[in-house]
Amino acid sequence: MHRYKSYNRKNFSYVAIAVLLVSCYLIGRLFYLMVINSDNYAVKAQELHERERSIKAERGTLYDRNGTIIASNKSVSTISVIHNQITDPELVIKELSSALNLSEETVRKRVEKYSSIERIKSNVDKETADYIRNLSLDGVMVDEDYKRFYPYGDLASRVIGFTGSDNQGIIGLEVAYDKYLQGINGTILTLTTAHGIEIENAAENRIEPVPGNSVHLSLDVNIQKFAEQAADTVMKAKGANSVSLIVMNPQNGEIYAMANVPEFDLNKPYQFNEAFLEKYKDQTLTDKEKSEALNNMWRNPCISDTYEPGSTFKIVTATAGLEEGVVKLEDRFFCPGYKVVEDRRIRCHKAGGHGSENFIQGVMNSCNPVFMEVGARVGAEKFYYYFDKLGLSSRTGVDVPGEANSIKHKLENVGAVELATMSFGQSFQITPLQLLRAGSAIVNGGTLVTPHFGVEVVNAEGTVIKELKYKTVENAVSKETSETMKMILEAVVADGTGKRAYLPGFRIGGKTATSEKLPRRSGKYISSFLGFAPANDPQVIAIVIIDEPKGIYYGGTIAAPVISSLFDNILPYMGIEPSYNEKEIKEYNIGKFSVPNFVGLTKAEAKKLFEEYAFDEVHWLGEGDTVTEQFPLENEMIENNSDLILYCE
Amino acid sequence: MEQGKRRKGRNYYDYSLLFLIIFLVCFGLVMIYSTSSYNAAKYYQDPAKFLKRQMLAAIAGLPIMILVSKFDYHFYLKKLPVIRLKPVTCLFFLCLILQTVVLVVGKVTGGSQRWISIPLLGQFQPSELTKICVVLFTAYIVQLAPRKLDKFMGFVRVCVFVGPLIVLVVVENFSTALIIGLIMVSICFVASRKKGYFITSGVALIGAAAIAISVESYRLERIAIWKDVENHPKGYQVLQGLYAIASGGLFGKGLGQSMQKLGFIPEAHNDMIFSVICEELGMFGAIAVLLLFLLLLWRLFTIAINAPDLFGGLIATGVFTHIAVQVLINVAVVTNTIPATGIPLPFISYGGTSLMVLMIEMGLVLSVSNRIVHER
Repeated sequence: MHRYKSYNRKNFSYVAIAVLLVSCYLIGRLFYLMVINSDNYAVKAQELHERERSIKAERGTLYDRNGTIIASNKSVSTISVIHNQITDPELVIKELSSALNLSEETVRKRVEKYSSIERIKSNVDKETADYIRNLSLDGVMVDEDYKRFYPYGDLASRVIGFTGSDNQGIIGLEVAYDKYLQGINGTILTLTTAHGIEIENAAENRIEPVPGNSVHLSLDVNIQKFAEQAADTVMKAKGANSVSLIVMNPQNGEIYAMANVPEFDLNKPYQFNEAFLEKYKDQTLTDKEKSEALNNMWRNPCISDTYEPGSTFKIVTATAGLEEGVVKLEDRFFCPGYKVVEDRRIRCHKAGGHGSENFIQGVMNSCNPVFMEVGARVGAEKFYYYFDKLGLSSRTGVDVPGEANSIKHKLENVGAVELATMSFGQSFQITPLQLLRAGSAIVNGGTLVTPHFGVEVVNAEGTVIKELKYKTVENAVSKETSETMKMILEAVVADGTGKRAYLPGFRIGGKTATSEKLPRRSGKYISSFLGFAPANDPQVIAIVIIDEPKGIYYGGTIAAPVISSLFDNILPYMGIEPSYNEKEIKEYNIGKFSVPNFVGLTKAEAKKLFEEYAFDEVHWLGEGDTVTEQFPLENEMIENNSDLILYCE
Repeated sequence: MEQGKRRKGRNYYDYSLLFLIIFLVCFGLVMIYSTSSYNAAKYYQDPAKFLKRQMLAAIAGLPIMILVSKFDYHFYLKKLPVIRLKPVTCLFFLCLILQTVVLVVGKVTGGSQRWISIPLLGQFQPSELTKICVVLFTAYIVQLAPRKLDKFMGFVRVCVFVGPLIVLVVVENFSTALIIGLIMVSICFVASRKKGYFITSGVALIGAAAIAISVESYRLERIAIWKDVENHPKGYQVLQGLYAIASGGLFGKGLGQSMQKLGFIPEAHNDMIFSVICEELGMFGAIAVLLLFLLLLWRLFTIAINAPDLFGGLIATGVFTHIAVQVLINVAVVTNTIPATGIPLPFISYGGTSLMVLMIEMGLVLSVSNRIVHER
């Protein structure tokens, strides 16, 4: 046997040193990879492990002018499946299809689709979501989500609009302010294995969603309610197809209310409202027909439908005549019941004619021959000039989408007959809102405003981030003409065709209209009234359009009272106090009195005492002969013509 | 043990090496469970599948190692009574036969024919056995006439004897052939008094390696991957290993917390296990593992230079080289320091044959240490 000699040891030392050196190099390499340069690959590794799941941002709220919420969100859930994590696909399909009311095929298709995450159904209510969550099925995800919620249901439905399941506006202001209302979706970053399976309890990285901004509207929930109530009452009373009613501030174009009855439920926008249910009750609709019908239901006639305005348009003709100086208030006219224009005999609405009258009386009588004459004096070209100047040739620019524009003859095609009919509001079409805007300019001193709902945009913390500005055009009408028109239109209500809009204590101006729908002689009418108050300093202007009333259809008879009942409610609400003149105090028995004591009296005694005061009616409650309680209480100051309630035992 | 050292005439037994080995094997089992449980559960519904198999090999390996260590290694040089052949020569011929058999009837996995199926025992990789054979056989040839190695022809003579084994291995398994070659060279180098011709033969070896690389297109591709691991379409595995290493940082994510083992690194319990060690235990853990290996090598070195005779010393040298080369190449591959080649990390990577062979080699070295006689 040979010995392991010292040179062997030396040689081996060389080998060992070589190994040591290489080891040191590799440790250095490790240090470089793991400490110095670790970010490079570690970040890439992190990206590789993370999967994104989005968190929906809460949509902004819509507020009315008093800060009342009219559109907000409620918590719902989205059910989705993760293909890779499903262990029992058949069970998942069975449970989900029954819980979510979906066909098995639909669910199966989504469950079997090879994708990282597949949405089964969104907007699932909390109960169903909790039920599904408690089933603890592998691969089924229940994510919190938001659903748009409208606390007032059908209030101003066509104005506010609604959103789809993707949180995007579909009609109305929800579309107009979508870019403010939509927030920025956040993400949850979860760790997954190479096979896309999430690792439970791994630290989640969240990027918080940014909630959408809120929009404050000029709409007033109470005025809107009054408007819808007034419109609904007349629609039912007159069996009309529909009634539209717009209430606006003529000074700045802020719309307080825009009612289109029948409204529909914003929380169930894909269900027919009563009118449509009635209309289609005996029919089975194809999908296409149904979607057309729904589109009709969602349509906002105040801005999307044009009509022949009829006599309310005479305010524009009168303004044009006054501005041009071709007519003076004391100019005298004679109405034989018709006017011959070229070869045509155009009738006045009063068959026998109004006889001799001055201009003011002509307006109060809504006399067609007077306006044909004024129109002829203005001339087609100037007439069109004022048509344009009062904004009737262009869209109003209202912030609700879907606005229509007016339809009229080309100027070169307007002969004497066309001009004559246009003078009293026929043979062209405009939207109700266009007319309301022109009316505002006429009564507010001549400023053409942009009707609108949006006032300001507020972020989630409540800070105003944007004040919404709208175009106004000064001097569309001169101040003098505006003053004159206010005076004339107040006269129309005080003692003309619009006298049913009269409201004691308030100065109201307005103009009635009754337009026959096309084709003529069909017996279908549109009855309307445009009114404003107070007449000397208009704070509110309103227009009501009644489509196809049954029976009496005169605007002065059926439309004017709608405005008076509306104003009766909203003027005090808006802080405009009534001030009665002597005639009104006398005629309407205005005043207050102190309530006497009825308690302890017998019925007969109470009746006698009741007669002595200015009560309107007495309501007897309970059996018996002796009054035990009274309302109002003794010594309370109450208005004349108030009711009295007495409890007897 | 310290006591035993001081007693005169008492044979030495390197218990610290023994415990190092046991520790490494146990650590390997922990890491195999950590790296393989996810995939084992996913594909075999048994998270401990790989752990159980490796444990079996370890449990079988331990008594074999101790048995070998208690056996006088000079036995391998004595002629067996009946067949009149030395065990070391028998082993040599057995390996030649097995290597030939594997090329004919071997089982193909991953594009290479490296496995022989043995009933009851499962799969067996003859190239692993060849490693022991080369250690013993080279040491045997060299110690027959150590002086001959002073001349180049002496080295050639060794090459001629060992050469056939290397050639048979290189056909299907370049990296193992490289290890075997390095073991052989290293033994010759230690035994030789002249170093000059090693430079010449080193150059020749590099030339041969270059030819071997260029013969197979996939080896050229690996170089391309190595140069541009981030963008090369096939750099996936190495890149995932680098992601794991970089994710570890100084102290790691903690045992069992690796993300990359969750399907990102394919077969993380095999050759890439070191990258997961880095991810879970951080740079300190990784360096600790390397230090464990260095400690082990230090023990082997000590045994070699104290070896009672040349044969024992050369056995220790061969085993030292084997482990050092595998550790260094493995770590170098995982850190993308050199082009990828499939070499497992000794004692830790999954592989029953490899673990048993390593334990037998350790048994040989322990047996050498057992022959060291303290002179006081």
